[in-house]
Amino acid sequence: MLIGNYKESYASDEAIFRTPATRAWMGAAAVAALVFPFVAGDYLLYLANLMLMLALGGLGLNILIGFTGQISLGHAAFMGVGAYATAILASRFGLPFWLSIPAGGALATGAGMVVGAPSLRIKGLYLAIATLSAQVIFEWVFTNWTSVTGGIRGLNIAPASIAGFRLDTDERIYFLILGVTVVHFLLASNLRRSRWGRAFVAVRDRDVAAEIVGVNLFRTKILSFMVSSYYAGIAGGLWVYFTKVITPESFPLSLSIQFLAIVIVGGLGSIKGTVYGTVFMTLVPEVLKAVTGLARVVWPNAQSYLFPLRDVVFGLLIVVFLIFEPHGLAEVWNRVKRFFSLWPFEK
Amino acid sequence: MKPQIRFAALLLAVSVGLAPAARAADDVVTVGACQPITGRFAFAGIAINAGLQDYLNLANEKKLVPGKKFNYVYEDSGYDVEKAVACFKQIMAKHSPAIMYGESTGLGKAIAPELNSRYKVLYASASFSSELADPKNHPFSFISGPTYSDMFGVLLEYIARNKGAARPKVAFFYSDTEFGKDPIPYARKRAAELGIDVVNEIVTKAGAVDVTSEVLQLKKTNPDYVIFQGYILSPIIEVIRATKDFGLKTKFMGTFWSMDKGIIEKLGQDAEGYMGVMPYSYFYEESAPGIAAMRAYNQRLHPEVKYQPNSYVQGWFTGMVYVEAVRRVVAAGKPVTGENLAAVIDTIKDWDTGGVTGKVTFVNHKAGVGRVYRANAAKGIFEPASDWIYSK
Repeated sequence: MLIGNYKESYASDEAIFRTPATRAWMGAAAVAALVFPFVAGDYLLYLANLMLMLALGGLGLNILIGFTGQISLGHAAFMGVGAYATAILASRFGLPFWLSIPAGGALATGAGMVVGAPSLRIKGLYLAIATLSAQVIFEWVFTNWTSVTGGIRGLNIAPASIAGFRLDTDERIYFLILGVTVVHFLLASNLRRSRWGRAFVAVRDRDVAAEIVGVNLFRTKILSFMVSSYYAGIAGGLWVYFTKVITPESFPLSLSIQFLAIVIVGGLGSIKGTVYGTVFMTLVPEVLKAVTGLARVVWPNAQSYLFPLRDVVFGLLIVVFLIFEPHGLAEVWNRVKRFFSLWPFEK
Repeated sequence: MKPQIRFAALLLAVSVGLAPAARAADDVVTVGACQPITGRFAFAGIAINAGLQDYLNLANEKKLVPGKKFNYVYEDSGYDVEKAVACFKQIMAKHSPAIMYGESTGLGKAIAPELNSRYKVLYASASFSSELADPKNHPFSFISGPTYSDMFGVLLEYIARNKGAARPKVAFFYSDTEFGKDPIPYARKRAAELGIDVVNEIVTKAGAVDVTSEVLQLKKTNPDYVIFQGYILSPIIEVIRATKDFGLKTKFMGTFWSMDKGIIEKLGQDAEGYMGVMPYSYFYEESAPGIAAMRAYNQRLHPEVKYQPNSYVQGWFTGMVYVEAVRRVVAAGKPVTGENLAAVIDTIKDWDTGGVTGKVTFVNHKAGVGRVYRANAAKGIFEPASDWIYSK
């Protein structure tokens, strides 16, 4: 039973994973993540890839909403900007993925800077509408700038390859996606405790107070938008190499809403909550599908009721979660952890 | 129950659901399908699923392919490309079918790289997109009917055949989606070849409702025909009503998705004269033995069903093509694999479907045939206005 966490050096004070138990678990998770593609089937591997990219994009939005308290309904559009930039650079200019993905991220960062500009003057719901317009504008550009984006039919790109090794299967691309996602999660953990990260939180908690203690509001907010859309852009770039085709319909408003749901269900401002939120939003519908699949064995003709019922159950689950734990799944997890940290000596 | 036990029970239930099924025996042909049974395409997905399933059952009953039995497995894909790809992979891993059915153009494009390199199964879908009728880039896909371009071809051919002294004037009215824009380049070219003037092209959002300015544009150019593409109901109904109010004599035409009899019910008396192209006969048509067999099957198994929408016939016809392809492969003494099945699609020539469609000839993995139907508002049904027309 862990009763304290005694730090003897600056290094241990700065560690991200602080206790031996955490380090052991993270090590086990790393091994599991590396072995996973060799034991999981196509279906689970596909879902894993999807979740990694959604988690990466979701983390970007969590930095914006959870850390800085700025809302955005245009997150999918930034992902689209990154994806299109990556796809165009890769297909037209033959850039390798290790250049095209960061370039996509950079372009998305620029887009985030522009879209974030109104955040100095407007807040809350007004900002939501302003970012919503970004979603609409970018979607329109993807659809209608045919000479560049390929219009409604989108773009096809060749699989990523490095030194002749083609990342053309889900197993191979998995390692790229996993690597990029893990690195960006670690970056975000560090960002949070940096000067900028604390400035984000200060702006979120009370912007006037933050300004009084010397935080430049405009720069902080813009930076948060930039970091957020950078994450989305990188996720978009990975997306391109994963699906090998993008169309304007790949980045709809509903995806922005899904990111929002991931962040809220997972836990605002919680890095690991983003992971839980993604897992919840992706796996629960699939689990419900498997359950209705079992029910179909018993009632083969009930599909027209069972299938829509799944969406109802999913919606209810989200509502129930939010009522009983408004801080999201991250807080649920913390409670479980606290329970087991005292186990078996609980009251 | 303790939460941990409950969780373990859930995990167990799911892993049972996800576990791979035993490999099918040689005499079983598995057909997998990712159908949009929920989501915004459910109105068609449920019917397509029923039609496909019913025809494969009928094929089993009648032993249409001697020594082979069809096993149909489907999952809901919710009209969402990511979910649909997951569904596709799940069915492939669990049942390893030789034939798949998919929900949308989006799925067709997303799965194409792996379909071509790994899965290699015969693939058809609810899509009529001309992009998927391309044996070079999509060797395993076929369109179970005409593409949208072919549908425009049929309508333009009809207009050219029924023209008066003057050159006919046509307007294209379409949504800014893939669905809406797909046939337009072909349609422009074909209209020019047939001596038809395209006087107007109007592009709107899918499902737009405020159409005042669009109708004013129509009033200015006064076309003989307006062809809608990329809509289901809105704004077709609004445009037809508004142009009637303006006193225009324009005739309106639609393609597959706006030709179910539901649109007549919605339009009421205004439906009179509404026309469009339909690749398949309607469920109530008396002259076609293939449709009579379909009705008899429904009478026997779903006696409560009085009408099946065209999406049902679409699913049924797709089942017919699957069965015919399997029959041809088996007759040639080859194993039923995706490669062999895809290779026989374009060998289907002048195939008599018993009037479910016109005589079917597959060229470039599509069958460019359809018929023009006209709404009879009093009876609430569409009636044939032409014979089967082949698109060029």
